[in-house]
Amino acid sequence: MFKNEEMEINLGPQHPSTHGVLRVKLRLDGETITHCKPVIGYLHRGVEKICENQTFFQGQVWTDRMDYCSAVANNLGWAEANEKLFGITVPRRAQYIRTLLNEFNRLASHLIWLATHALDIGAMTVFLYAFREREDILDMNEAFCGSRLTTTAFRIGGLREDMPPGFEKMARKFLAKFPTCLEEYENLLSENRIWKKRTVGVAMLSAEDAIALGVTGPVLRAAGVPYDIRKAFPYAAYGEMDFEVPTQTAADTYARYLVRMAEMRQSARIIQQCLDGMPEGPVMAKIPKILKPEVNEVYHATEAPKGEIGYYLVGEKGSTNPYRFHVRAPGFINLQSLPKMAEGGLIADIVAAIGTLDIVLGEIDR
Amino acid sequence: MPTPTLLQSIAITLIQCVLVVLFVFVVVPLTVFAERKVLGHIQQRLGSTRVASGHIGVTGWMNRGMWKWGRIPVLSYWRGIPGLVADVLKLILKEDIIPAKADKFVFFIAPAISMVSAVVVFAAISFVPGTFFIFPAWFPGLGGLPVSGGIADINVGLLWILGVASVGVYGIVLAGWASNSKYPLLGGLRSAAQMVSYEVPLAISLLAPVVLTGSLNFGEMAQRMATGTSAWGLVPQVFGFLIYLTCGFAETNRLPFDMPEAENELVAGFHTEYSGMKFGFFYLAEYINMTVVSALAAGFFLGGSWLLPFGLQGLVNQLLPADAWIAGPHAIFFVAKIIFLLFTYIWVRGTIPRYRYDQVMSVAWKYLIPLALVNLLLAAFVRCAV
Repeated sequence: MFKNEEMEINLGPQHPSTHGVLRVKLRLDGETITHCKPVIGYLHRGVEKICENQTFFQGQVWTDRMDYCSAVANNLGWAEANEKLFGITVPRRAQYIRTLLNEFNRLASHLIWLATHALDIGAMTVFLYAFREREDILDMNEAFCGSRLTTTAFRIGGLREDMPPGFEKMARKFLAKFPTCLEEYENLLSENRIWKKRTVGVAMLSAEDAIALGVTGPVLRAAGVPYDIRKAFPYAAYGEMDFEVPTQTAADTYARYLVRMAEMRQSARIIQQCLDGMPEGPVMAKIPKILKPEVNEVYHATEAPKGEIGYYLVGEKGSTNPYRFHVRAPGFINLQSLPKMAEGGLIADIVAAIGTLDIVLGEIDR
Repeated sequence: MPTPTLLQSIAITLIQCVLVVLFVFVVVPLTVFAERKVLGHIQQRLGSTRVASGHIGVTGWMNRGMWKWGRIPVLSYWRGIPGLVADVLKLILKEDIIPAKADKFVFFIAPAISMVSAVVVFAAISFVPGTFFIFPAWFPGLGGLPVSGGIADINVGLLWILGVASVGVYGIVLAGWASNSKYPLLGGLRSAAQMVSYEVPLAISLLAPVVLTGSLNFGEMAQRMATGTSAWGLVPQVFGFLIYLTCGFAETNRLPFDMPEAENELVAGFHTEYSGMKFGFFYLAEYINMTVVSALAAGFFLGGSWLLPFGLQGLVNQLLPADAWIAGPHAIFFVAKIIFLLFTYIWVRGTIPRYRYDQVMSVAWKYLIPLALVNLLLAAFVRCAV
C-alpha cells in the first residue's frame, strides 16, 4: 500500500557544515544514512601542476593555499623536502624557530577544528572562545612574517629573518594563559551530557580500517595507534623535544576530541621547551641563488595538524623547476573514511563525522 | 459599576486585543535585540553595535544618526538598536519568492497558521488579576467601565492555550511539505514528531498546578498561588517546573532541541525556501511562542503577576492603602518574570550543544513523560493530604 523509497539528498557543496565546498551524496532511509559518497574537486586549482612550472623557491607560496588553516605546517614540509633534495643542512636556531612556529600553527589549526566541530554540534559559544585564542596566534604569525593566514614562513635553507623583538614575550604571555583557556573549553564540553551523547560511539573508525584506508593524524591515534611522525621519524627540532603522543582506544568522535585536546597541551609543552632552549646562531644556511637538484627524487613526510603531509619532489638535472610534484594531503586521504564512519548513522552524525575528520577543502582539492 | 452592553464589551475587547498585540510586537524585537546582546556577552563580544551597513536609504540614515550620537561612549554600546527597525524593514521589502514547484496555497497559508496560533494564545493569558483599569467618566461611550487584565477571562483557559498552541505545528509541517524540497521536508517531519511528543509531557506538567490550585483559569490560579500557602507553585512543583521548561524549549524549537531548523544539518530546516515577510512570520512566531511559554511558566509556577509567595502578598496589601496596589505593579511583576524566563532561553542557547533527533525523542518518551506522570501523581497526593 505504501511505497517505500530511499531519498537521495545532496549535502553541499553549499551547506553550513561541510567546511567549504565538499559535496556529499547521501541516500537516506528516513533519517538513517544508507549510502554516502563524498564528491570533491570544487576547489581544484592545480596546485601541483602550477608548482611544476615555477622554481623551487616560488613553490612554497602555493603550499600556504592548500590547507590554509595550517599554512606553517605545509611550509615546513615543503622547505624540508627541498632541503632533502638539495642536501642543505639548516642551522639549529632555525630548526628551533621552525618547531616553535609549527606547534603554534598546530594550536591554531586544532582551535579551528574545535570551534567548527562544536558549532556543528550546536555549541556556539566554544566557537567564539576558540577563535579568541586563535587570534593571538595569528597576531604572532603577523609579527613573525607579516601575514596572518598564508604565512610563507620559511625559506629553503632556514628562515628569512630571525624572530622579531618582543616575539618571545608574546609567546610566553600566550603560554601563560593558554592552559586556563583549554580548561574553559573542557568545562563547556568534556563532561557535558549532550556533547557526550552526540560524540560517544559516533562515527567509529577502528584501527584496522584506519590503517587500511591510510588514515593518519589524530583520527588514527584516537583508534589506539600511537603513530606520530614527530616521534617516529623526528624532523626539525622534534628529536630534542620531550613530549608524549596522546592516544585513545575508543576510536569514536569523543576519543578524537580527547586526543586533540591532549595534543594541544603537548604542543604548548613543546613551545615552552623551544623558548627555554632556544640556541643562538644564524638562521639561514649558505645556499646558492639558483637551486638545481642533483638527486632525482625525494619524499618527505611531516606531521601536519591533520595527519601525515608528504611532499614528493622529482628534480630534473639542470632545471630550476621540479619535474614532478605531488602532495600526500592528509585531508584527502582521511576523507576516504567518511563513508565508513557515516553509513548506518543518522543525518546528524555525518555532521559530527565531517567535523571530527577536520578537513580543509583547499588541501583535498588542491 | 455599570454593566457594559454588547457593543461596549466588543469595543473593550478590541482595545484589549490592540494592547496585547502591541505588547507582543514590542516584546519580540526587544527579545531579538536582547538575544544578540546577551549572547554576545556570553561569548565575550559586544553583540550588535551598528545597523546594517552603507549610507543610503532608511538604514543609512539611521546608521549615520547613530554614529553621530554614538560618539558618546555609553551610547555607542546601544548603536545596534535601530537594527530592530531595519530588520523588520528588510523583511518587508525583500522579494517574496515562491518556489516554482511549491504547493502555492499551502505555502502561503503555513506561515499564517504559525503566526495566528502563536498570537491567539494570548487571549487566555491575563496579565493582571481582576480589573486592569477603569475608563474615566469623560471617555466617550465607555466611561466608568472596567477593563479586565486578560482578553478572554474563560474558565477553561488552560485547555484553550494548549489547544490553540498545538495548531502551530501545522504551520511548520505544512511549510516543510509545501516547499517541495528535501531539507524542508526533513525539517517538517522532525518537527511533527518532536512537537507532538513534547506536547504530552508539557500538558501533564501543567496539570499538576491545576490539581494543586483547583482551577483552569489563568488569573485565578495565579491568585490562589500567591494568596494561598503554596509558595507560587514553584516550591511544591519544582520538578514540574523543570519538566515544563524543558518541554517549552522543545515546543519553541530552541536549542538544545532546535531539530526542525538545525542549521548545521538541515541548512534552515522547514523555512529554507521561505523569504521576505513569510519567513518573517515564522521568525516572529518563534519568538512569540517563547513569550507564551514564558508567560505560562510565570503564571503556573511563578505566581503570575504576584510579587511575593507564601501568602505574604496579602500582608503587604494590608499594609498599603487600598488603592495603592493597583494594576501597574502587577503587570510589571508579570512582565519581569517573563523577561527572566526569556533570558534563560538565551542563556541555555549560549551554553549547550544540540541533541540528535533520535535522542530528542527518547528524552521525551523515556524520561519526561514518566517523570511528568509521577509528578502529577505526587501533586494529587499532596492535594488529598492537605
